[in-house]
Amino acid sequence: MQPVGDRTEDPPAAPAPGPGRSTRRLVEIALLVLLVALPLVTNDTFFIDRVGRYFLFAIFAISVDLIWGYGGLFTFGHAAFFGGGGYLVAMLTTRTGWFLPVPFWIALPLAVTAAAVLALAMSYFVFSGREALRGVEFAVVTLAVAVLAERLANAGGTVTGGQNGILMQTRLGIPGVISLHRGYGFYALTGLLLVAVYLGVRRFIRSRPGLVLRGIRDNEDRVDLLGYDVAQVKRRAFVLSGALAGLAGALFHVHEGIVSPGAVGVGSSTLVLLWVVLGGRGTLLGPVVGALLLPHLTASLSGTLLDTWLVTVGVILVAVIVLLPAGLLGFLAKEPEP
Amino acid sequence: MSVLTVDAVSKHFGGLRAVDGVSLRLEAGEVRGLIGSNGAGKSTLLDLIFGRTRPDAGTIRFGDTDVAGLAPAARARLGMGLVLQVPSVFPDLTVEQNLRLGALPKRLSTPAGDPAADVARVLDLVELAAMRQERAGHLSHGRRQWLEIGMVLLTRPRLLLLDEPTSGMTRAESRHTATLLRRLQAAGDVEAMIVVEHNIEFVGLVSDRVTVLHRGAVLASGTIADVQQDPAVQAAYLGRLR
Repeated sequence: MQPVGDRTEDPPAAPAPGPGRSTRRLVEIALLVLLVALPLVTNDTFFIDRVGRYFLFAIFAISVDLIWGYGGLFTFGHAAFFGGGGYLVAMLTTRTGWFLPVPFWIALPLAVTAAAVLALAMSYFVFSGREALRGVEFAVVTLAVAVLAERLANAGGTVTGGQNGILMQTRLGIPGVISLHRGYGFYALTGLLLVAVYLGVRRFIRSRPGLVLRGIRDNEDRVDLLGYDVAQVKRRAFVLSGALAGLAGALFHVHEGIVSPGAVGVGSSTLVLLWVVLGGRGTLLGPVVGALLLPHLTASLSGTLLDTWLVTVGVILVAVIVLLPAGLLGFLAKEPEP
Repeated sequence: MSVLTVDAVSKHFGGLRAVDGVSLRLEAGEVRGLIGSNGAGKSTLLDLIFGRTRPDAGTIRFGDTDVAGLAPAARARLGMGLVLQVPSVFPDLTVEQNLRLGALPKRLSTPAGDPAADVARVLDLVELAAMRQERAGHLSHGRRQWLEIGMVLLTRPRLLLLDEPTSGMTRAESRHTATLLRRLQAAGDVEAMIVVEHNIEFVGLVSDRVTVLHRGAVLASGTIADVQQDPAVQAAYLGRLR
C-alpha cells in the first residue's frame, strides 16, 4: 500500500531532543561504580551498614515507582506490603506451635508470597469490573488499607506484639558459614539484590505488559478501547510491586531486629512517596537515588543540627521540588523508555 | 451476511431521546456516512455500537454475534475499532510504541510475535515514519488523529467506527484523511466503516451511502446526492449549513 501523499503542511517543529538512552546508561554505570567502589574506599562499617539499609529502601521505592511512575496508580498504602513482609517473617520465625517457628530462609519466600497474595486479593477488589477504581478513589482505598494495617498491628495482641511489635530472633546469613547481617556482608547482599530488582523491573517495564502498563498511565480508556484487559495488566504490576515491597520489608526488619506498627502505616507509606518524588517519578533510577539521598541527609543532619534538622530537611525538600518538579533525575523521563 | 445490523436501538437520557428506534445495516465493503445536526444522536449511536453505552431497547449484531452485554474491550477483540473525535493516543509513548500497542495481541497469554513489519507498513501509510521516535504528545492535532487511525487499524478491525475524524483539522488535512480512509477501504484493510461527520465535503469523499439522523431517529438514507435532494433533510440539516 502506498502512503497517502498529498502533503500540504510542513511537519511541526520537532521538540528539543531529550537526553539520549546513553544518558540513562551513563547514570546506571555511575551508580553501579559507586555501589562497587564505596566499600573499597571506606572502612566505616557503620556507614556501609547504613547504606545497605538504604538499598532496601531503594527496592521499596522501585516497587512504588513501578505502579505509580509507570502505571499511574498513586498509592498511599504501600507500607502495608513493606511492613507486612517484616511482620510475617517475624511471626514465622518467632512464634511457636503447629509448624512454627521456621528458619528465616523458609520464612522469607513465604512472606514475599503472602505480600503478593495480599496484593492479588486487593487488586481483584479494586481493579475488576465496570466499577474498577482509579485515580483518587484508588489512592483513598490504599490509604484506608494503611490505616487498617496499622490498627490491626496495634490491636493484634500476642500475634503482632501490639504497640511494642515483635523482636526478631533471626539473622541474615547462613549460620556457621557466612553472616550477612551487618556491615559489608549486609551491604553486598542488599546491593546485589537492588541491582537484580532494578534490572528485573526495567525488563518488565520494557516488556509487553510493561508497555501496556505505560499506556494505562497515559490513557487508560484508549487501552481498553484497543481490547486489552486493563485489570489484568494492573494486577500483574500490583502483585509484582507488592512482592518487591514485601521482600524489602522482610529483609529490612530482620536487619533492624524489630518490627512495629509504624512499619505498615501511613507514615512509612508517605516517606516512600517522598523518595520517589525527590528522585524523579517514572524514571526507576530516580527513586533509587531519592531513597539513598533523603535518608542519608536525614541521618546526617539529625546528628549535627539537633534542634533544626527536621525543618532543614523540609526546606531542602521543598526547594528541590520547586526547582526540579520532575525530581533530581527527572531529565531521564524526557527520553521515552524503549 | 451483514457486517453490522442495528435493529430498533433506543437510548434515553432522562427525558431526552438521544437515539430513538434506529435501525441500519452495514454490508461488507461499505463506508457509511452518519450525518446530522448537533444532538442528533450520531456519537451516541457509535457509543451504543461499541458498547460504551448500553441501549434501553433494540439489538446490535456484529456479523452473526449479538454483542449485547459485551464490554468495549470485548467488542474490540471481536473486530470493532473506534477512533474518537478528540485524538486518543498515548502522549508519553513514541509514535512507534503507540502503533505497537495497536498491533500486539490483546490477550497477554497469547504469544506476542513481532509486529515490526505491520507497524512499519502503517507508519508509512499514515506518513509518520520519520517521526517514529517522537512522543505522540508532540504531534500536531492532525497527525495525532492519523496516528490513532493507524493504531486502531493495527488491531485489524473488521468494522471501523470514526467519530468526526476531521474535527479540528485544516481542509488539507481533511482531504488527506479522506484519501487515507479510501486507501484503507480499497486495500481491504477494513471490511466496513461508519464515519460520523459534520463536514459534508468529507462525507462525500469517503462514503458510499449516508444516513441522516435527526433528533435521535433516521431521517433519510441513501447516496450523498439522494439525501442532499431530500427536502426533509434540507429543512432539518443541510439548509442550516448553507
